[in-house]
Amino acid sequence: MKLEGKYTFKAARQKVWDVLLDQKVLASCLPGCERLEEVAPDQFEARLKIGVASVKGTYDGKVRILEKHPISSYRMEVEGSGAPGFVKGEATISLEDKGDKTDILYSGEAQIGGLVASIGQRMLGGVTKLMVNQFFKAMEKKIQ
Amino acid sequence: MKPPKFEYRAARTVEEAVSLLQEAGEDAKILAGGQSLVPMLNFRLTRPSHLIDINKVSELDYIREKDGKLAIGALTRERTIERSALVRQKFPLLTEATEWIGHVQIRNRGTIGGSVAHADPASEYPALVVLSDAELTIQGPDGSRTTTWDEFFVTYLTTSLQPFEVLTELRFPLPKPGSGYAFVELARRHGDFALVGCAAQVTMNGKGTCQEARLALIGVGPFPHRSPDAEAMLKGQKLTDKLISEAGQKISEEVEPEGDMHASTEYRRAMSKVFTERALKKALSRVQGGK
Amino acid sequence: MAATTTETAQRWVGRSVKRVEDPRLLTGRGTYVDDLHLANLHQAAILRSPHAHARIRGIDASKAEALPGVVGVVRGKQVAELSEAFPLGVAAPVRYYSCAVGKVLFVGEPVAVVVAKDRYTAEDACDLIEVDYEPLPCVLDPEKAVEDPTAPILHENVGSNVANHRVLHYGDTDKAWAEADLIVKTGRLVFPKYGSTPVEGYAAAAQWDPLNQAYTIWSNFHGPFIMHPVMCRALGVTEDRLRFIVPPDIGGGFGIKSSVYPYMTLMAICARVTGLPVKWIEDRREHLVASSSGTDRVSYLEAAVKKDGTILGVRMKIYDNCGGYIRTPEPACLYRATGNYSGAYLFQNLKMDQYAVMTNKSLTGPNRGYGCQQLYFGLERLVDQVAYDLGMDVAEVRLKNLIPAGAFPYTTPSGGIYDSGDYSKSVRLALDMAKYDELRKRQTAARASGKLYGIGVATAVDPSVTNMAYITVAWTPEERARKGYLPKAGSSETGSVRIDPSGKAFCMVNTTPEGQGHETAVSQIVADELGMAIGDVHVITEFDTFTRTWSITSGSYSSRFASVGASAVATAARRVKEKVLKIAAPMLEVNPQDLDVRDSKVFVKGSPERSVPIRRIAGQAHWSATLLPEGLEPGLQATCMFNFPNAKPPDEKDRVDSSQTYGFIAEVMGVEIDPATGEVRIDKYVTVHDVGTLINPMIVEGQVMGGALHGVAGALYEEMAYDESGQFLAASFMDYLCPTAMEAPPIEIGHVVSPSPFTVLGSKGCGESSTMTAPAVVANAIADALRPLNIAVRELPMTPNKVWKLLQEQKAKGVA
Repeated sequence: MKLEGKYTFKAARQKVWDVLLDQKVLASCLPGCERLEEVAPDQFEARLKIGVASVKGTYDGKVRILEKHPISSYRMEVEGSGAPGFVKGEATISLEDKGDKTDILYSGEAQIGGLVASIGQRMLGGVTKLMVNQFFKAMEKKIQ
Repeated sequence: MKPPKFEYRAARTVEEAVSLLQEAGEDAKILAGGQSLVPMLNFRLTRPSHLIDINKVSELDYIREKDGKLAIGALTRERTIERSALVRQKFPLLTEATEWIGHVQIRNRGTIGGSVAHADPASEYPALVVLSDAELTIQGPDGSRTTTWDEFFVTYLTTSLQPFEVLTELRFPLPKPGSGYAFVELARRHGDFALVGCAAQVTMNGKGTCQEARLALIGVGPFPHRSPDAEAMLKGQKLTDKLISEAGQKISEEVEPEGDMHASTEYRRAMSKVFTERALKKALSRVQGGK
Repeated sequence: MAATTTETAQRWVGRSVKRVEDPRLLTGRGTYVDDLHLANLHQAAILRSPHAHARIRGIDASKAEALPGVVGVVRGKQVAELSEAFPLGVAAPVRYYSCAVGKVLFVGEPVAVVVAKDRYTAEDACDLIEVDYEPLPCVLDPEKAVEDPTAPILHENVGSNVANHRVLHYGDTDKAWAEADLIVKTGRLVFPKYGSTPVEGYAAAAQWDPLNQAYTIWSNFHGPFIMHPVMCRALGVTEDRLRFIVPPDIGGGFGIKSSVYPYMTLMAICARVTGLPVKWIEDRREHLVASSSGTDRVSYLEAAVKKDGTILGVRMKIYDNCGGYIRTPEPACLYRATGNYSGAYLFQNLKMDQYAVMTNKSLTGPNRGYGCQQLYFGLERLVDQVAYDLGMDVAEVRLKNLIPAGAFPYTTPSGGIYDSGDYSKSVRLALDMAKYDELRKRQTAARASGKLYGIGVATAVDPSVTNMAYITVAWTPEERARKGYLPKAGSSETGSVRIDPSGKAFCMVNTTPEGQGHETAVSQIVADELGMAIGDVHVITEFDTFTRTWSITSGSYSSRFASVGASAVATAARRVKEKVLKIAAPMLEVNPQDLDVRDSKVFVKGSPERSVPIRRIAGQAHWSATLLPEGLEPGLQATCMFNFPNAKPPDEKDRVDSSQTYGFIAEVMGVEIDPATGEVRIDKYVTVHDVGTLINPMIVEGQVMGGALHGVAGALYEEMAYDESGQFLAASFMDYLCPTAMEAPPIEIGHVVSPSPFTVLGSKGCGESSTMTAPAVVANAIADALRPLNIAVRELPMTPNKVWKLLQEQKAKGVA
């Protein structure tokens, strides 16, 4: 599933960069993140409870920040597995100045495997996008 | 396909249901008709700690006309609504919407409150809550509150109901005289979740001018879509085919449907126009005495 | 009209007798595998792969094993220790086990089994197993899996994704191509993957006897019992150490349950590991994700034709998708129709270039119509294309090329011996019933008013009772000629009939019915042969390899009941009758040939008042055996193992009579398409069948309706769909759209009766029926509706979204 979008944050690029890559912020903004521990620089072990309303699955896995080009772009990988199957996502996030604001462009792919993919078809796309939005909206709050 | 472990409690009154929810904690779920919840349990898509069964809360099973509104208890079975002469007479759009819900066996168990609280993006009843600006009464530990759809529906399967709250009543304002209605739907098979559906209610004056149009679409977003712009286009106008088509076009430009294996984003978008048109035309024909 | 069960005056065969099994089935008194109770029976749940293709780096089941109530967790490692890879029908060294060993190759592949005190606990434990997967790239399209050099290879030791490849050449297609006025091509056709949706999924229970080192397995396996030796090889036991028991009732099968055997094997291993009897009942999600289905197929067809519409020859290139492992009896989907590759048509030159391919989808096997829906979808689309290219009517082209009525028994270029038929009569009947000319006029009027109305025609030769030799066409003639090779050929079944001391008949058949009404049909046949009322005939269907007389080809598949099962039981009944008459002859002081049976009596022909009750004969046979006429054994029973003489191995030119009776189907369909939504509505559906003698017309028509709806399902509704990463998308009835009564179109059925000269009663199989034609006739009708817009129909299912998209694309080009 392809994911693509743009957000405009009301802050300077450096500030946005710093917040986006702050571990504590990441932990509080990743949807359903119950645990995030740094195991190596820019590598985290995570427990994510993903879904909507009461339809949620718990996945244990990794979050990685790669290809960091301060303050213009980085790549983030999330992968986890649990009883319902697995989740995998990766996105390149780019920051661009826009006056005193910053545009954030993301583009990537998400994959959900196993139970949810095989019976959750109808809402999978919508819910995935919803969670991406949640992530950026939460980030936006942290920046303001 | 066996559910994981959960505790089961049954309530006999709303008050008891609320207190059982409080005792159970935030991971409890209310069991009403169970037509969505039980399959989700068996698939292990949801793992509530407790099920609070409200099937014996008979005080929530009623259909009444009150102050120009149709008040329906949340535990009223869909089949009861479908067969209610009062509903058919006062708010036939609700009857027609009910006929689109699953199959008879599902409607025998499914409840209106359960359907609205579950907030499936393709469900029929949420569309009518949105279309008619129905009032929803919710009871919680601190008493009851009333809300409307714009506060209630949050996103896919998500409402503003709090963990210890129970949806108790839905009150639908009755259509004004001179109104016509239609609920049309596109589904792969009879009884399937709608790919796209549209509920329409138009009120015409004696001169053939539209006084009010209400539209709600399902299957095209996280919860039913209402279009103030399209409704405004119709208001005060003669409902010509051209205008109806423009309203459909407007809606198809507004909605942001997701695709799945049965219907792509583009297809759902196009169908939102087709079914808006069909609903409006059928509603209009009913104002003019059509079936 | 339904008849009562006490009449005997007229023949039972040919009448729509009410099904004798229905009161039991409809009141919930059937006995299925899940009704089995054994002391200390434990339940299994299977953990399945969420990945389409991945290496298994490790399995940590410690938490699952620690869960109270769990008695064991079985992994691929133990499966590989306690069993061999299953024997295959191909030379490719694919190692297929009942549970993933080292790697998973499709979503839903078993990875581990938990055995616990109940299913709830077993499923809870599955949630606690941690599997470390290393995901690998996947390939899903069978053509890409073969032709794209960058496609991942599923089985490294095989070296390619091709499980089997054969080029079969019958006649001389080069000559046909040289003589042709025109070469007609279909382009790339795609047939979808779908299954059967029996109400009861797979079920298996197993017990291990450590003293005798023997397994007993209860399951709803419906044959072919060739899987018994296959499983013996996998489990490393001789045939006398493996007992199969099939309960009296199976909740639907449609071929799909012949592929339950890997699970039977897996449960046998679980029983052995835990030392307990273990039962596994497949749930619906498991069934959809990983039981079995027909193949999805990519094919390219070409025909060499004369200007007058005569088809001289056909060439097909086929990529058949068998999923992650080629599971026996695959690649049979490619070969089941060998004798009827050329369908109802007279052309003599045929070339089949066919691949059985492995991709990261679930496994395939027999599915009602096996191989024929794929074949006829291609062939019938090709014949339509011939008509289009020559500007002829689609019915006219077919009538021009049909095998003529006088040609039977007719030998096809690929070795099939079509026993009987009148194809032109059947096609004409279908056209008449549909009022074809009127329908065309309606279409013209509909088109003039901007509507999309299409008419489809399709035919199929409907093969029944396969000769197991056909599977060996997968091997080259040289391979089949190698030293020590034992040719496999045969098409046999057993029927046993006995009259008990009270004069009532008991019949035993090995046809493991799944709801087809075999008990009724056997009652009718035996009642006729023995002059009884059907209520006096009891049919026993439960099956046991230790107590029955059976054959490797026994079972319920390839529509074989009405051909071979009926022939076996009728022959056994005749043998019993012969003995009855021999016992009666001295009592009535006449010769046996002067006697006949009716109303449960033996009577003298011409003097019916001179008679003796069959009960009296039975009494003598059982109670007074020593006083029987000389040379007669005590008792009153006979067993017949019926076989067909034409069931021979393939010859050196790959010709084989792959089935032993061949029925015929002609269909006409009218569809209307909603141009706004792309929805297809079936307006008219006429289907004409020649199944030889109709044993029970009501049952035949039930099979026709069920088959037609099953085929319509594949054409318009059901699809085992995957996303590009190999995730299975249709694991519930929310997305796997099995049509219901509400989707069933009105179906008009006609019959032409050409009795088979090769069966005892002249009957032919009819169980697969319109599953073979419906996808083709739907596709042809939709194609006809869309032709004015220059839209080709090359794939199924034609969902509303797909039809709408085709219409939009043409609109964009300015055509529509």
